[in-house]
Amino acid sequence: MSDAFAPKMLAFLCNWCSYAGADLAGVSRFQYPPTIRVLRTMCSGRVDPLHMIEGLKSGFDGVLVFGCHIGDCHYIDGNYFTMTRVAVVRRLLEVSGVGSERLQLRWVSAAEGQIFAEYVKELSATVEALGPFEHERYAFELAAIEHALETPRLRWLTGMERQLTAHENVFHERLDSEQYKRVLMDAVEMEYHKSAILQALKKGPLVVREMASITKIPVQTVAQRVEDLEKSGRIDFCGYDGTAPRFMSAAA
Amino acid sequence: MSNQGDDKKTGAVMVVGAGVAGMQASLDLADAGYFVYLVDKGPCIGGLMAQFDKTFPTNDCAMCIISPKLVEVGRHLNIDIVANTEVDALEGEAGNFTATLKTRPRYIDPARCTGCGQCAQVCPVVASNEFNCGLDRRAATCIKYAQAVPLVYSIDRDSCLGCGICETVCLAKAITYADEPRRTKIDVGAVVLAMGDEIYDPSNIDTYGYATHPNILTSLEFERILSATGPSKGRLMRPFDLDEPRKVAWLQCVGSRDLNQCDNAYCSSVCCMYAIKEAVIAKEHSHGPLDTAVFYMDIRSYGKDFERYYDRAKDHGVRFIRSRVHSLTPVENGDVEIRYVNESGEQHSEIFNLVVLSVGFQVGKATIELANRIGVDLNSNRFIKTDSFDPVVTSRPGVFVCGAVQGPKDIPQSVMEASAASAASGVLLNASRWTQTKTPEVLPQTNVTGDPPRIGVFVCQCGINIGGIVNVPAVRDYAKTLPNVVYAEDNLYTCSQDTQVKMARVIREQGINRVIVAACTPRTHEPLFQETLLNAGLNRYLFEMSNIRNQDSWVHSAHPDEATAKAKDLVRMAVAKAALLEPLHDTVLDVTPVAMVVGGGVAGMNAAKNLADQGYKVHVVEQTAKLGGNARSLCKTWRGESIPDYVARLVGEIESHPMIEVHKSSQLAKVDGFVGNFVSRVKACDGSEMEIAHGATILATGAKEFMPTEYLYGKDPRVLTHLEFDALVMSDDPSLARADSAVFIQCVGSREPDRPYCSRVCCTHTMESAIELKRRNPDMSVFVLYRDIRTYGEREELYTEARKAGVIFVRYSLDGKPDVKVAGDKLSVVVTDPILGRAVDLKADMLVLATAIEPTDTLELSQFFKVPVNEDGFFVEAHAKLRPVEFATEGVFLCGMAHSPKAVDESIAQALAAASRATCLLAKGKVAVSGAVASVNPLLCSSCGVCVSICPYSAPSFNDKGKAQVNAALCKGCGLCAASCRSGAIRLQGYDDAQVFAMIDMV
Repeated sequence: MSDAFAPKMLAFLCNWCSYAGADLAGVSRFQYPPTIRVLRTMCSGRVDPLHMIEGLKSGFDGVLVFGCHIGDCHYIDGNYFTMTRVAVVRRLLEVSGVGSERLQLRWVSAAEGQIFAEYVKELSATVEALGPFEHERYAFELAAIEHALETPRLRWLTGMERQLTAHENVFHERLDSEQYKRVLMDAVEMEYHKSAILQALKKGPLVVREMASITKIPVQTVAQRVEDLEKSGRIDFCGYDGTAPRFMSAAA
Repeated sequence: MSNQGDDKKTGAVMVVGAGVAGMQASLDLADAGYFVYLVDKGPCIGGLMAQFDKTFPTNDCAMCIISPKLVEVGRHLNIDIVANTEVDALEGEAGNFTATLKTRPRYIDPARCTGCGQCAQVCPVVASNEFNCGLDRRAATCIKYAQAVPLVYSIDRDSCLGCGICETVCLAKAITYADEPRRTKIDVGAVVLAMGDEIYDPSNIDTYGYATHPNILTSLEFERILSATGPSKGRLMRPFDLDEPRKVAWLQCVGSRDLNQCDNAYCSSVCCMYAIKEAVIAKEHSHGPLDTAVFYMDIRSYGKDFERYYDRAKDHGVRFIRSRVHSLTPVENGDVEIRYVNESGEQHSEIFNLVVLSVGFQVGKATIELANRIGVDLNSNRFIKTDSFDPVVTSRPGVFVCGAVQGPKDIPQSVMEASAASAASGVLLNASRWTQTKTPEVLPQTNVTGDPPRIGVFVCQCGINIGGIVNVPAVRDYAKTLPNVVYAEDNLYTCSQDTQVKMARVIREQGINRVIVAACTPRTHEPLFQETLLNAGLNRYLFEMSNIRNQDSWVHSAHPDEATAKAKDLVRMAVAKAALLEPLHDTVLDVTPVAMVVGGGVAGMNAAKNLADQGYKVHVVEQTAKLGGNARSLCKTWRGESIPDYVARLVGEIESHPMIEVHKSSQLAKVDGFVGNFVSRVKACDGSEMEIAHGATILATGAKEFMPTEYLYGKDPRVLTHLEFDALVMSDDPSLARADSAVFIQCVGSREPDRPYCSRVCCTHTMESAIELKRRNPDMSVFVLYRDIRTYGEREELYTEARKAGVIFVRYSLDGKPDVKVAGDKLSVVVTDPILGRAVDLKADMLVLATAIEPTDTLELSQFFKVPVNEDGFFVEAHAKLRPVEFATEGVFLCGMAHSPKAVDESIAQALAAASRATCLLAKGKVAVSGAVASVNPLLCSSCGVCVSICPYSAPSFNDKGKAQVNAALCKGCGLCAASCRSGAIRLQGYDDAQVFAMIDMV
């Protein structure tokens, strides 16, 4: 055995296509590295963004989500939601500096045993190249991501995408999906920033520049998000440090 | 109908032959309310399919898909497996038969034998192992195969020396040397014959040398070599020296389409496909490059998704050589030289390491004798005689037939006929339903709510499938160290019947209240183990499976240590989840005893008539103003029966049937509800609407003839489609008498990039039409331009008849399609003849195009019933092999050409099968809805409505307090809502957040 780093990855497989594809890889004896730990769900649409982050938090080097090909979903269109959710979480991983490569989405049909094995090989190599995931080093970012994902705003926007872009809104209009994606991704970034600030404030009151340095977010952006947070009552002003106002988490 | 007479009918059925057809017939009959005696001459059930390695076109492992069925039959309360038994006599008449059964002694008491195999370990006898086609050996005390049901040994008296050693080692005291033949009588109302076929023995073909050369094998022998349970554990080898071959050839049509070496004029229907499959799988098994060549006359990939499979094999590099093989000659090193003549008549030869003879089916001698004994007629090919309109009815009333004994066919067709035979029996015995059946004992469930988890872990070795890679004892011992685990053990085969019995006992004895099985895949085995929990008095949801075979040992065979570590992780995850499992409760709902059939063609009408004859109210919704569908445009079946007469009779029966309501010129406008409780709005063309409540739905929407744009179709009136030609025949059009020459072009619109499937019926139809022209005018020149002639099964006789009548067949290829022009008062059809090697110009008065069959627009129905459609536009059944007439969506069934192109007799069989599956639902009158569904905590619900908006099944809705609620009967348990809820109010039972997090955090 070499001492080379072998990644350990959490793989969500939907029961009807990708899990069956993985079973088929077994029946066909398509070999792939023993890097994944499978968690079966009925639909990839069951995989909550929080489940993906939980995987990284608990020390997996990567998280893989497998679903049916678009159009093949056993539950008609569950995998469209998966696509959006993975995009949201990947964006959060990018914005936070954790890096989005550790979360991957692939479609595998029940007949694609070989392709499943190929994907595991490919993604094992991808994550191996990234090296071990130091989840403790990213504890701050992961906590902020988790918080952002719990916000009603992100959950709502993620959940409503298909209704608004594939069906209709309350004015019987169908929104352009590219445009919607931009709205969603802007929201993702904003919610991450707010969550990171709140996370930073957990250790005690801070001024804007201190927050910026802890969260690695530009000062002006922090300033705007602090305004938002104060307005919504999430943080409170608690005195000055020279000229700089100091803020603390609002009493729960 | 006189009730008095019906009351006397016996509500039990004897099924003869326990292959895949016999098993399916038994399951359908037993689920529809009849007691079943499943009689087989062998020691266990499973038939030929159990010997296959993989099945086409899905490459499913045959054992993996058949074993849950074996177990289901074995466990069914209302199926009595009568093994080692033949039917000696059948007296009485339809509704009241008495069958005399002759049971050979087993010499081992099935009630005592545990299947441990100790007797076989000590037995000094070495005999040929029939299961592996004699390629390896077994003892005289034996079991057919590891997954056999019943899992009971027997003594093979022919090879047994009578030395007595097995008795000394049998701890269960099961050996019974004094066992004697037994004769019993059983009373049954109907009989289903499902004896199957035997494999043709090519020993008598001198020029092939099968009997003398070890490296010339039958395809069944090769199937065993490929199988992981075969003589070489799935290593590709040849018997002469166990070398892995580098070149393997398949010879098609051995024992089929042949009146010289044997008496089998028919095509065996399955050999092309299994040869392609074996070539592809052999390549996968091979460690080095493997050259595979199939020597054939026509490739008959005529079934659903078969043509794509053939195309993929060509992409994989399987060589297909159109030829006639002259002889096989042994050369040095065990190799074999194949001498053959190619299509242009040139002699060639090539040397192979291994040659596989693609042997066909034939009816066995014992079957012929049985048929004679019980007075059932055979046809000229010795298959049991039926007609196209009653494909499962034999010459003796009350005796039905299904599977390959009725004619050569593949597994799905056999399974369909099996269900069809059950439906036909149901019409006869309807009044005696549930009179002979037993009711299951419902064990009280231990209330475990609030009890601390006591987890039991059962680790499976799966023979050596898991145990050969993963250190199973280490996983078992590791499981014992995990929190809440109070018991762990490992088993050779956790799924075997004896282990199941033992598990139930252990669960009770150890006070286990959560169960984990680490074995194969929950996709096939979860229901089986859940039933074991029920037998142990536990709620079936207190169960979790770890997949340490398909997703571990099989895919990490070179890394046993890592595979073991992974197995431990997977068990640890399961333990974490199991501790949080709660009992869930299935809801039992009443079923509306009404069926709706969408589509009033031959398939729809047959489904409707059968259900109505079985006593259920049926609504038939037909889009057009007339019943009959495509059949109204057809002349006759391939057997020559008149279709117009049949359709007229059937339409009359449907329209006058008291239990059938026909809605013509009508369509579905809306469908609500779910299995057992559908409510559909039927809209007529006059705009009137009515609402119909129904428990089951059968989609029989058919297909249509493709309208071509090539070959001057639509531009010259002499260019016709098949249906247009049939119209001329039916009206006795004078143009038929005037024509001196006719040309048929096959595969118009089929087997092309736009429509890459074979339309199945066109070759046969062309034969009928060509023969009809020759019958009217023997001097007429009739040409058929074809790519492969696909007159599968007994339809081959039409091909022979056409050639005898002087029809000339010219092959063309996709890159050299015929060129059609108007030349004077004739049509000129130019095509390159591969035998002559040059272009020929055929002058025709009539050009008939064998155009493709296209699906109708299925989109709306697929959305109404949430059922899938494949890329060709045909509906997709739940499983290509074993569930050919039902959808994954419960309570919705399919039949006829909406499934794929097929002939009238096949549509009828499938329609009866769909009716049978629907009957299993309607006859029980109740349906259990899974407890693994979503639920809302109204205190947390913020009434945002995202769940209502996203659910594809409309399960969530707002209640009168404005809070979301989920209708459990509509919920499919996908979890989309739970993963979208912004207030954490939705829980998905069985896949709850807490359980998912616990699993993730455990690694």
